[in-house]
Amino acid sequence: MKYITIITMLIICIGCQQQDSKNFKFAVSGEFKPFSYIDKKGSLNGFDVEVGRLISAKLGLEAKPIRYKFAGMIEGLKAGRFDAAVASHTITEERKKFVNFSSPYYYSGPHVFSRSDAKDISLKDLEIAVSKGSTYEKAAKKYTNNIKVYDSDITALEALSKGRHQVVITDLITGSMAIKNGLENIHANQSLGASAQGIAIAKENKKLQDQINTALKEMRSNGTLKQLSMKYFKRDITSKDNSK
Amino acid sequence: MNFLITFMDSAPLFLKGMGLTLLITCLSLLFATPLGLLVMAAGKSQNRLLKAFTRFYIYLVRGTPLIVQIFILYFGLTDIIKLEETIAASLALAFHNGAYLAEIFRGAIDSISKGQFEAAKSLGMSRLLTYRKIILPQAFKRALPSIGNQFIIALKDSSLAAFISMNELFNIATTLGANNFDQMTYLLIVSIYYLILVSFITLMTNLLEKRYFYVE
Repeated sequence: MKYITIITMLIICIGCQQQDSKNFKFAVSGEFKPFSYIDKKGSLNGFDVEVGRLISAKLGLEAKPIRYKFAGMIEGLKAGRFDAAVASHTITEERKKFVNFSSPYYYSGPHVFSRSDAKDISLKDLEIAVSKGSTYEKAAKKYTNNIKVYDSDITALEALSKGRHQVVITDLITGSMAIKNGLENIHANQSLGASAQGIAIAKENKKLQDQINTALKEMRSNGTLKQLSMKYFKRDITSKDNSK
Repeated sequence: MNFLITFMDSAPLFLKGMGLTLLITCLSLLFATPLGLLVMAAGKSQNRLLKAFTRFYIYLVRGTPLIVQIFILYFGLTDIIKLEETIAASLALAFHNGAYLAEIFRGAIDSISKGQFEAAKSLGMSRLLTYRKIILPQAFKRALPSIGNQFIIALKDSSLAAFISMNELFNIATTLGANNFDQMTYLLIVSIYYLILVSFITLMTNLLEKRYFYVE
């Protein structure tokens, strides 16, 4: 009986480790190279991760990036599993019903990738692969009912390059980087519009939203955000005018 | 109340997914059962090469996770042959369950006492006839609970096909969950569908067990 009590106590202790208010816990997918990925040392890296780190520094907190499945992030935020999600979320009205967004930290857009290099192919009734819970899935629904859903954009692109599906809709930068990194016989086909990406924060945490917005503003005015963009993409994706 | 509405609204999608789940499971078991029997028979043969081969096959299947086997068939083989996803998933499941079923069959046969083989031999029965008329009916009865178990495992393992983008039950649940920001509801709904399917298999095994009660 004594042992059972001790073991139970231990489990409870491990289970409710106190939330450390000195940390800024933010979620990234780790499956969206070059925005977030696992580097050779096994730690999280990428544009999103570095933005999160810069914000942590501005807030005077220790950065704690957490790997989380993109499809479950909004719910993770609602449940308080982390403070924010710096995970290339496109700011949409639908998501805004559940979480708050910071001001945009970069601009991009959904893009069609295909195996054929014919320009501007018609997407009607094609088999389109996308990542789960993404806005790309919504974009695909306009053209077809034949949608295949993967856990990550990179897996979808890899399937495309291996001869599966007809097109993939994903972010232009992610797709282009995947091609540059060695995915064969796929091409950027056409743009499906522009999007603004923001940091998601839980509804209740209005204070953090303001703090993050201030931090982003500072990072814009002192050029650190632009520098980061130049480092990763050799161009400025953080201002709306330069995104095209 | 809300749950019921969501359940009804999502039913057409889930029913489609259930069809696909059933298709993968049935296809895989259709291949896995004869495969298991064949492997078991090969393991019982006098041929050393055959024996070694079956041991290697079982070692391979039991030593690697099913999800790895599915990904290898889906991604790895594309340079040689492009398997359609339904086929890739079903084949991986068949390959996987074949090994487990072979072990179940072997265990059941080994549990029949040696005296029965000797008695049959003394009556002048051939090896094949002994198996067909005496050993297999008894072994089948003993294996039934484990076979039913393995079929249920196969059904639930078919959810791994979600990771190669098949729109079966689990993928539909997590996709709907992601799009509506409500994983919990859809995971509860999908549990109901799995429970229905598993109940069906349980019922079938129970019926078979009753049908074979007189053996022994």
